[in-house]
Amino acid sequence: MRFFKNVFSQLHTFVLWALMSAIFWGWIFTLVTDAPPAKKITVYCYVPEIRDTELAVLLEEDKPDGIKMIQVHNFEYVLFDMGNIENGDIFILPASQIGEYEELLLSKAAGVKVYDAKTHTGAAASYLGYTDEDYYLFLGAKSVHLEDGAAQAVTDSLLEAP
Amino acid sequence: MTDAPVELYTDADIAGLRRRIKTWTCGLFLFSLLALGVCIALAALTTTGNAQRMELAAIAVSTVSGWIVLYCAIFTVGAARRELGHAGTLREGERQRVEGRVQVTRRWLRIKKSITALAVDVETAEGTKSFWVSRSRAKRLASARPSALWICHGYVAAYEVTK
Repeated sequence: MRFFKNVFSQLHTFVLWALMSAIFWGWIFTLVTDAPPAKKITVYCYVPEIRDTELAVLLEEDKPDGIKMIQVHNFEYVLFDMGNIENGDIFILPASQIGEYEELLLSKAAGVKVYDAKTHTGAAASYLGYTDEDYYLFLGAKSVHLEDGAAQAVTDSLLEAP
Repeated sequence: MTDAPVELYTDADIAGLRRRIKTWTCGLFLFSLLALGVCIALAALTTTGNAQRMELAAIAVSTVSGWIVLYCAIFTVGAARRELGHAGTLREGERQRVEGRVQVTRRWLRIKKSITALAVDVETAEGTKSFWVSRSRAKRLASARPSALWICHGYVAAYEVTK
């Protein structure tokens, strides 16, 4: 009983500590799970459902030399910060959205079809929840991995993913 | 005939309080280091696949260990520090002697940033007077059945027992 009375008398301190702890370790893990653009490949997918962590783990199994990590994000991830997406290395977009994000893409014409709506087959279909339209994969216009071939290597892995 | 006044806080009591503060402070410091080490290990072992689980685990370890440290720091070390400060005040302050029938009551008072005290009523020739005694010393005072008290700043500092 006295224990609970004591806790209640300092409840604000305990709540404040929990908040500080969550904010601090959230920040630390953001740093730990990130890397400079030169050391990572970022894949942005315009899909309603995505198993981003599992796909990233799969792609990391065969990551190119010099690459520390591969990140897979939904477009919703950058909804309020378009700054990050501009440096994306790989984009997977539905046909209807290609025009809207054209400036992010290296070449609109060089898109590789990754999902066929007619046959319902596509790359990494067990990780990406494609909708009922064709999807294309593009390299990013500002990707720093166009020269070293890392973006292409990850693209190849993505196309082979189940 | 009464014995010489018996101090409520003896040298041994004060040494015990100092030892308790030191031991708990060291223990809590080591515990904090251990918790920090666990959190750092969790961060170091993080991979893309387990990042979310590791982050949650680190937050849980940090939060719960912090709560334990805070609780002990406030209610164990803090209480001992306040008690030590109170003992110092009683030992150094000016005292007055009050003689009469002494009764430790259940009325209590928690002084902010200080000790919790119980009221002590003394029935003197001029009437009943009330003083305070630290809750941690109340049992000792009551079982001694004192016939006179030495009061400092309204608190019982020492007592005398009739032979």
